[in-house]
Amino acid sequence: MNSAVFHLSGPLHLCGKSHFIADEPPLQGQLYAKFLFSPVAHAQISNLDISAAEKIPGVIKIITADSIPGENQIGTVVKDEPLFPETEIMYVGQPIAMVLAENEYLAELAVKKIVLKYKELPAIFDPEEAYKEKQGYIQERIIARGDVETALKNAPFTLSGKTETSGQEHFYLESQRCLAVPMENSRIILHTATQSTMEVQEIASRILGIPVNDVIIEVPRLGGAFGGKERGATIWACMAALGAFLTQKPVLVKLTRDEDMHLTGKRHPFTSLWKVGFDEHGKILAYDILLLANGGAYTDLSIAILERAMFHSENAYYIPNIKIKGFACKTNLPPNTAFRGFGAPQGIFVIENILAKIAEQLKIDPLEIRLQNAYQNGDKTPYGQEISDCRLTDLFNILAEKTNYLALKQAVEVFNKNNTRFKRGIGIIPVKFGISFTTTLLNQGSALVWVYIDGSVSVSTGGVEMGQELSTKVAIVVAKVLGIPVHQIRVESSNSQRIGNASPTAASTGSDINGNAARIAAEKIKMALTECAVKLLKQKHQLNVSPEDIVFKEGKVFYKENPDACVNFEELVRFAHSERVPLAAYGYYKTPALWFDRDKGSGNPFHYFVWGVALAEVEMDTLLGEHKIIKLTVMHENGQTLNEEIDRGQIEGAIMQGIGWCTMEDLKWNEKGVYLSANPSTYKIPGIRNLPEELEIEMIPSATEEASVFGSKGIGEPPLIYGLSVFFALQAAAKEAKKDAELSFPATPESVLQCLDGLYPIG
Amino acid sequence: MKEQNLQTEIHLNQITFFLNGKQITEDVPAGISTLDWLHAKKQMFGTKCSCNEGDCGACTVVIAYPFEGIITYRAINSCLYPAAKLHGKHLITIEGLGTPENLHPIQQTLLKYHSLQCGYCTPGFVMSLFALLAMNSHPDQETILAALEGNLCRCGTYNSILKAAQELSAKFSPSEIVPEWCRNTEQDLYSFNETDTMFFTKTDIPQQVNCYLFPKTMKQLFDFYAEHPDANFIAGGTDIMVQKNIDRKVFPVLIDITNLPELNRLYLRQDGLHIGSAVTYQQLYESGIVKTDYPVLHKLLAQIASQQIRNLGTLGGNIANASPVGDTLPLLLVLDASLWLQSDLEIRQIPLNDFFVSYRKTALNKGEIIKEIIIPPVKSNSYIKFTKTSKSKSVDISSVITAVKIEYNEDIIINAALALGGVSALPMLSQKFTELLTGKKLSTINIDSVISEVEKEFEPLTDIRGTALYRKKLIQNHILLYFQELQKEEK
Ligand SMILES: Cc1cc2nc3c(=O)[nH]c(=O)nc-3n(C[C@H](O)[C@H](O)[C@H](O)COP(=O)(O)OP(=O)(O)OC[C@H]3O[C@@H](n4cnc5c(N)ncnc54)[C@H](O)[C@@H]3O)c2cc1C
Ligand code: FES
Ligand code: FES
Repeated sequence: MNSAVFHLSGPLHLCGKSHFIADEPPLQGQLYAKFLFSPVAHAQISNLDISAAEKIPGVIKIITADSIPGENQIGTVVKDEPLFPETEIMYVGQPIAMVLAENEYLAELAVKKIVLKYKELPAIFDPEEAYKEKQGYIQERIIARGDVETALKNAPFTLSGKTETSGQEHFYLESQRCLAVPMENSRIILHTATQSTMEVQEIASRILGIPVNDVIIEVPRLGGAFGGKERGATIWACMAALGAFLTQKPVLVKLTRDEDMHLTGKRHPFTSLWKVGFDEHGKILAYDILLLANGGAYTDLSIAILERAMFHSENAYYIPNIKIKGFACKTNLPPNTAFRGFGAPQGIFVIENILAKIAEQLKIDPLEIRLQNAYQNGDKTPYGQEISDCRLTDLFNILAEKTNYLALKQAVEVFNKNNTRFKRGIGIIPVKFGISFTTTLLNQGSALVWVYIDGSVSVSTGGVEMGQELSTKVAIVVAKVLGIPVHQIRVESSNSQRIGNASPTAASTGSDINGNAARIAAEKIKMALTECAVKLLKQKHQLNVSPEDIVFKEGKVFYKENPDACVNFEELVRFAHSERVPLAAYGYYKTPALWFDRDKGSGNPFHYFVWGVALAEVEMDTLLGEHKIIKLTVMHENGQTLNEEIDRGQIEGAIMQGIGWCTMEDLKWNEKGVYLSANPSTYKIPGIRNLPEELEIEMIPSATEEASVFGSKGIGEPPLIYGLSVFFALQAAAKEAKKDAELSFPATPESVLQCLDGLYPIG
Repeated sequence: MKEQNLQTEIHLNQITFFLNGKQITEDVPAGISTLDWLHAKKQMFGTKCSCNEGDCGACTVVIAYPFEGIITYRAINSCLYPAAKLHGKHLITIEGLGTPENLHPIQQTLLKYHSLQCGYCTPGFVMSLFALLAMNSHPDQETILAALEGNLCRCGTYNSILKAAQELSAKFSPSEIVPEWCRNTEQDLYSFNETDTMFFTKTDIPQQVNCYLFPKTMKQLFDFYAEHPDANFIAGGTDIMVQKNIDRKVFPVLIDITNLPELNRLYLRQDGLHIGSAVTYQQLYESGIVKTDYPVLHKLLAQIASQQIRNLGTLGGNIANASPVGDTLPLLLVLDASLWLQSDLEIRQIPLNDFFVSYRKTALNKGEIIKEIIIPPVKSNSYIKFTKTSKSKSVDISSVITAVKIEYNEDIIINAALALGGVSALPMLSQKFTELLTGKKLSTINIDSVISEVEKEFEPLTDIRGTALYRKKLIQNHILLYFQELQKEEK
């Protein structure tokens, strides 16, 4: 629709002039916070002595659980997480006390003087162990259809196994931060890097014991979030709020990279136990899976993440008999949290792994077996939502054609025959990704649009800009409705005084919800302006037209049959103002027709699905365990995009994160629950050399009815799954070197050599 | 009471340099990084801090200074660059390049290709591209990747950044990239006075670094050391500054050795290549001698760290640091490198192999520095190779790094050396390898037994970069790889 529109903040970013929280001169009297973090994973606090630390000159205040004026509770879904633990420490890195000092160095010195005594308690880190002990956040959840037991018994073939995926550090380049500033009348303003303005506002007010309207949230933009600031920002915002409230001075909480990596929650590691039954064509007849999400020390978003993993366990395949069980395990790791994909990648990985196994066993082509099982229109998901507008078979066929699949496969075979050290492999993966928050109430949003007297426009929504270019998309939507150039529109920061009760900007719904709310607001204004235009066109051009024949386009307003006799937008706005017509509107949008019954495990949780397929070809060095990605080709069904280049950027970025997750991001903790690779020199995220040598992304438009604002579709999360094609390609390559090689996750050089161990290809 | 205690008394030597085209004279607290200085003293926040340890490139700035008769523009990590080093240089930051209304061609092109999302990494990429294009006419793909591998973008915009970089490389030459206000400083950069020698930060509260010293002569260096026996030497600072920023280590006194002419020499003599210990990786990489006479070293240099780090880091630092996974060490060992060590009393030469004593302990005496590294000439009939295995393809510390050298007389192996890093407390030569190969013909060697004998020599540890078993496996596979190549060469 509007690829010619560039990133609205682009020129600012490119010149280092865009505003990020805390990348600005300090305020007068600003205090700096440093924390005493728990050194143990699970313990009973026996004594906390801050007296020596308090004496250090320049230390203004030391804050502990005792200092909290309101309720020491930051949980949302389940109220189980204290800001500071009062008696029981739950994970390594949990903040125990906060020092406020005149500079960071002094604050650090003071932290070292705090004495914490504790009695260590047994800790759990392994989800299977937690499952056995029934340590979890909810009762085991079930979504089921058909008779899995019988179908498994009768199936010609069965397989069973255990599949694990590891966690992932968000590594947003802008670390967690909040600047809290006290205002008159005990009010407080929080400049917080959060995806969830409503949550931060409510919880900060709870901690301070003041009404929600005394807490003001201001979010200019985020330097990346990826889910890590959906819930992850809350604790730090509350810390800053508490500090500012108690000292009546501005307080900055800003984590260093190493702190951020050590103590913030990550993508949930999953362990899954499964059984599958299938026929000789590779058609899956029955699937029984138990998903164990390693939730960490508090509930956080684990329940919803588990739920999304369950909703995506069958990925893009129709499975007649299916039982999906899920359990959110309570362990002594930092509370794991949202990360792009929100459980779906973890669920999808398991079934794709199984399909690879079945294909191998039956010697069926990996594309063929996926076509065999692919959803068709009219099928129902395990939770009963009907599939419509699904072009999966088409997408597979287009992919095969674009990549010249048969020839490619042959070339790979020939290569592998002629090479021992280097092996190539192909991986294919489809995605069906449900768009909507599965917590139905979150699917609502607001926007406020002002048209100013000169025709320039200000738009506020509840959405947070974090690089996904929500602002650009919202501006495109409003520009389209009002028929004015995009540059005439300012999309404002997210501020609770302009937009209250905003849902998190998450679940790939940002532009659906906020774009629609902005559209509705703009349409209201347009309607009022249209009435005025009828009058003005009559006054100015003696035209008698009815409102529905009036066109707003390129800053002009005219009768559709006579564009020359027009009024310009500014003129119309001034006229409307003189006519005392409102030039602002509030837009409210809720996603239609959503429901889900958690007890029955059925409903219509998604507004629509995003579909796509990807193919990766890799070359593995069986001696060194390294690989290169020769090509990655994607067919992405994208509705009517608001801006193709933005969507392409989201796809490319998500793919890189997916590749990172499954090939290099190696998140390990030791037997004491301490993250070992919690700094950028040991935890490696993809760099420019990790790009596939050839990356081809084709957007397949669809005239889908089931889409959102102006026919567009959510884009943030689904493409992360494409990155997993690289893992499956590597697995295929490993099997070329060693038939029974079982590549573990992530496919680092170490895990490659491990699965090939004993192999000595000489000559 | 607090007020009074907080009063700090600061004595500083001032330094003079250009900041985005304007000459300034500034007080610089000892040991402060350029990044912290930009933020705290200049309130310039365009340069971003994301890791503070050299790994992400968000803090990339460009410094310009005379080198070998031209003004060179180098991208560096400002988080690791002591501001004191800026004297006499031109510091170019993102604030200097373009304005939103009047974008620099680099910025224009990145905007056109949608090469940014959240924007937090963006200033760093712009600056890396600036240095790349200021120094290279139409760089090829490999040069582009090398210039950008030290910049992380978690939004994953690499594909569009690469496209933009390709277009820039094709379309623009350095003269169009380096703005006039930069060129205008160049003449003055040649005529700067030498840097002053001392930087003190004196406060009631001990700072991490209280004193930063710039000796101008070797004599002064040792005098300084005599005065401050608690001093540490700093060259590129890529290890020291990480210890300061992240481990919060205290360095009461830092003596910067990079301005000493004696340590900046690179010359060829009969006994081999002499590399001054303050010569940076990048200078070595660009050296014609290294390219032609030591091609393996040239290749290795490209695989160390990132462009920004290579522009600062030194061979001397890598050796003195004595990390078991120091990337240059195995290759230098098989090349029979030796060191010239100098103290106020004597200059002595020792073989590199004798330099490493135990875990991170070296033969350096207190107050002694590495002056030069000497690499003997490489014989023509020889096979020299290294293999670095790490988790990431770039900017990563090795799990295991090995290097091998085999010299032939006709088809008899007269000299064989294998050195390994990451498999014991020190980088080490394998004795078995030399024993089992010397005097033999390649075709008569039992490869399996060489592998198993060598493997037995080492007891690697398990750490975050690899388990002991994995490291054992890498020893095997690296050796195997060398033999496979040797056999191929023989055919
Ligand atoms: C992001 C990043 C990536 C890196 N990647 C790699 C990599 O891939 N491979 C690798 O091997 N290393 C890597 N390093 C480590 C580091 O860059 C190298 O070890 C480098 O060679 C150190 O040189 P320097 O001049 O910066 O040392 P400095 O930090 O200046 O000094 C290091 C140590 O050596 C001492 N020293 C320095 N020069 C002398 C001298 N002439 N005489 C006596 N003592 C001296 C110092 O006192 C100090 O103890 C990386 C570092 C970073 C931050
Ligand atoms: S801040 Fe990351 S490299 Fe300097
Ligand atoms: S654009 Fe967000 S990190 Fe690069």
